[in-house]
Amino acid sequence: MSSLALSNLALSNLALATILLGAALAASMISVELGISVALIELGLGVVIGNVFDVATPEWLVFLAGFAGILLTFLAGAEVDVRQLRREWRASTAIGVVSFAAPFAAATAFAYWGLGWTSDAAQICGLALSTTSLAVVYAVLVETGLNRTLIGKRIMAATFVTDLGTVTALSVLFVTPNVWFIPFAAASIALIVGLPRIAPAFFRRYGNRVIEPEIKLAFVGLLLLMWLGDKAESHAVLPAFLLGLALSSHYASHRTEQERLRVVAFAFLTPLFFLRGGMSVAVSALWANLGVLALLFFVKVIPKLVGVFPLAQRYCAPHAAFTTLLMSTGLTFGTISSLYGLNAGIIDETQFSLLVAVVVLSAIVPTVIAQRFFQPDAAEEARREAVAPAATPALEGERS
Amino acid sequence: MPFERLLVAVDGSEASNRALEKALELAALTGASIAALAVEGPLPAYAATIGEVEEVKREKDAFFGRLADEVRAHAEHAGVAIEVEIRPGHAAELIPRIAKERGVDLIVLGHRGHFLRDHVLGSTADRVAEHAECPVMIVR
Repeated sequence: MSSLALSNLALSNLALATILLGAALAASMISVELGISVALIELGLGVVIGNVFDVATPEWLVFLAGFAGILLTFLAGAEVDVRQLRREWRASTAIGVVSFAAPFAAATAFAYWGLGWTSDAAQICGLALSTTSLAVVYAVLVETGLNRTLIGKRIMAATFVTDLGTVTALSVLFVTPNVWFIPFAAASIALIVGLPRIAPAFFRRYGNRVIEPEIKLAFVGLLLLMWLGDKAESHAVLPAFLLGLALSSHYASHRTEQERLRVVAFAFLTPLFFLRGGMSVAVSALWANLGVLALLFFVKVIPKLVGVFPLAQRYCAPHAAFTTLLMSTGLTFGTISSLYGLNAGIIDETQFSLLVAVVVLSAIVPTVIAQRFFQPDAAEEARREAVAPAATPALEGERS
Repeated sequence: MPFERLLVAVDGSEASNRALEKALELAALTGASIAALAVEGPLPAYAATIGEVEEVKREKDAFFGRLADEVRAHAEHAGVAIEVEIRPGHAAELIPRIAKERGVDLIVLGHRGHFLRDHVLGSTADRVAEHAECPVMIVR
């Protein structure tokens, strides 16, 4: 990285904070103008800042980015449509589990035996490349109107299952059980079970105020999970995701609360997460490992194609290729897994750079191919589902 | 009758308002049926959060809902019955496709100059004119 740096510029905390928030502002404006996700632009600007200024990442940024990662996980859980998931559990479990397990196994094995990474680093590689992006998939489906079709709903539910696999593995694989695991597990269960029960009364009494007690409640819960998870030498992503999931029905009927939480998250915290991720990407390391980068990309995509396609033929016919390509996308959880590995000292900066680059590529390449060559016509698909359910026999019986 | 089915592309811009005006005049003059097509542009590509996508979608739905009402009111004022369709997608691809599906014999759309994009990709009007299978009237 230092070869690209202008100088070993010593940035004060205030200077760095100004640069980062300036970059977040620029990213928002560029995102609106170009119609590209703000997260990708933040990652890109983070790469520029990290490589141009050669700045060490301060503790406060590591902490805020870590919290933002947990908040993103919580928000992802809260965005799940539980009723849809229940309706589509059979198809979505089959596709989702394979979509997680196939690339996880292949990428872990390739990183360990093919690249000589340590066992833990190889597992981080497997996790980062196992994900499917809920948001990328959602955008494609909504944009085309396919989110209203059975296939669209099935793909969304399968994406959730894949991500559940990733966060579960991230929490379980690196746990070193100690006495703190008991309070960590107890607090997780108490929050997941208790918060949805107290939420209606709490929000009725304290909601709709600019002082935002409801956001503070969510933040306290997430920080508690992070603290206890840290003491237990585990990771709070799984309970954070499940907590979001437990509160998803509440947020579905209280959209304003969810909006406020998103505003706080997207205005300040998540930009720091993506900028911090970008800052740790070493362009020189990517340039020196372009071959490995390409191999890792194929190690993510090919197992997804091989594993998911047969199931998609069964459950999402006649749009198996489209389904498979969407299941091959990744972004947020891939970045979260990679950043966890970097922060925990499991992977080094070169490995992190490679993983984040592959994750970003996987957000773009399969999406472009799916939209350009395999995108179903939503109106035609809705007509087909309405008039010819027998044409998709695997869907029968699950429709109700 | 010179034209029986007209399709006018609307997006709320000045140019598209002028195109709607001309299309309504033409429909009134010829007695042709007329449909308006509003194409909702793409959502944020490669989003990291569903919230980001939902917000833009909500804004677009509100904008195009208002636009459809305005187009209907405008047509009613001109004494012409109009059907308004809102479809997601890319305008340059969708307009010729919908025109073909509906058996339209004239597409009417406005020309809105965008210096950089027009030089790199060509304007939407240019691309519709290139790909449409029926006559295209570009209103400046």
